[in-house]
Amino acid sequence: MGDRGMEIRTLSRTRRILLLYCSFFRITALVVGGGLAMLPVIEEIFVVKYKLLTREELLDMTALTQTVPGIIAINSAVYIGMKVGGVPGALAAAAGAVTPPFTVILIIASLFPRLDPKNRYLLGVFAGIRAAVTGMILVTGCRMFRRTVKSPLEIAVVLIFFVLAIMKVSPALLILAAVPFGWCYVWWQTRRLARAEQQAADGAKPAEKAVEPAAGPHENGGDAK
Amino acid sequence: MNHCLVLFFQFCKFSVLCFGGGYMLIPLLTAEYVDREQVLTMGEFGNLCSVAQVTPGPVGLNTATYVGYVNEGFFGALAASLGLIVPTILIGCSAAAGINRWKETFLVKGMLKGTRLAAVALIMFAVTIFLGMSVFTQTIPWESLGALFRFERPVLPEGFQLSPAGILICGVTIVLMLKTKLPTTALLLGAAAAGAVLSAWF
Repeated sequence: MGDRGMEIRTLSRTRRILLLYCSFFRITALVVGGGLAMLPVIEEIFVVKYKLLTREELLDMTALTQTVPGIIAINSAVYIGMKVGGVPGALAAAAGAVTPPFTVILIIASLFPRLDPKNRYLLGVFAGIRAAVTGMILVTGCRMFRRTVKSPLEIAVVLIFFVLAIMKVSPALLILAAVPFGWCYVWWQTRRLARAEQQAADGAKPAEKAVEPAAGPHENGGDAK
Repeated sequence: MNHCLVLFFQFCKFSVLCFGGGYMLIPLLTAEYVDREQVLTMGEFGNLCSVAQVTPGPVGLNTATYVGYVNEGFFGALAASLGLIVPTILIGCSAAAGINRWKETFLVKGMLKGTRLAAVALIMFAVTIFLGMSVFTQTIPWESLGALFRFERPVLPEGFQLSPAGILICGVTIVLMLKTKLPTTALLLGAAAAGAVLSAWF
């Protein structure tokens, strides 16, 4: 296995690009559920079999694909492609990832109008899948909530965003507004931390004083939404 | 052709705004295509997401292809998929090397913190959209629920009910996801079969 890995590491550029296209074609053609479900398969192909990536590089990449915008599956394809084959590699990996779902969905979409929309079993199948998807999004959302939200203030912010979304404020606008808010929030946090440290260094002074004047920038950020 | 260009740029926008994975597309897409342009009904959108979820491939990409196809046929599908991946490639190729170095800077940290909080809220909002298509028989009537804040009895629109089959399947899926390591495919196939069987009863 190790010999094989070495052999492929010295492959020509063209062969690498071909390998990227075929691997991502296979991954998105076989893996249902997208994004993070692809990860074990990526590890199997690129880390274990071909040794083009180390486990640490894959771990870094996983964190990265979840921080930059875009759907996780394509992010992973682009970053792995980039690492293994430069810009042409990234293009090949993305193209490979897109081809199978594109074809499959086109076929299904063209067949869809021919299905009988009154067939109760068919409707039942769709209702069943929708219910399962509801549960899946809920679980995903709760996991994200646990990972992301760390303080009562942040719970309040999430709630405000949620209510605004229900009140039909455009989601695009909410995300854009979240960026300056995040800057204010992080700035306020670091300042508070610095003050707390300063006070600890100065000696025993009441801690509340540091919190109160610093609350200003955050509230401005919240109102800006 | 013009419409395809519009689709392309719309999906570029979605791609750039899509922090936190494919589910984030649900609020973005419903706001654009169900509420604003009204090219899809909420029910059609639900079926579309179901198809996107059961077929192999990333959910976001499947949804994009399908929305593009419904809007403008083959070229619409192509435009939407390309729109979703082009920004990613641009960001990826330019930032792949740099972002780890900037990860600790104030600008990146603040942006991530803010967008993540918004993403959590919007995914919860996506849940409420889906609740209206599964656990309830209609979209959740937020306007009438507003009456609760005035301590009045909300007037629910006719036909807004709980769906027993929806509650059952949704609940079982959540429990199975938390307690077992069953693959998503198995859960979805099971839900589809259960839906067909239950539809004979309810």
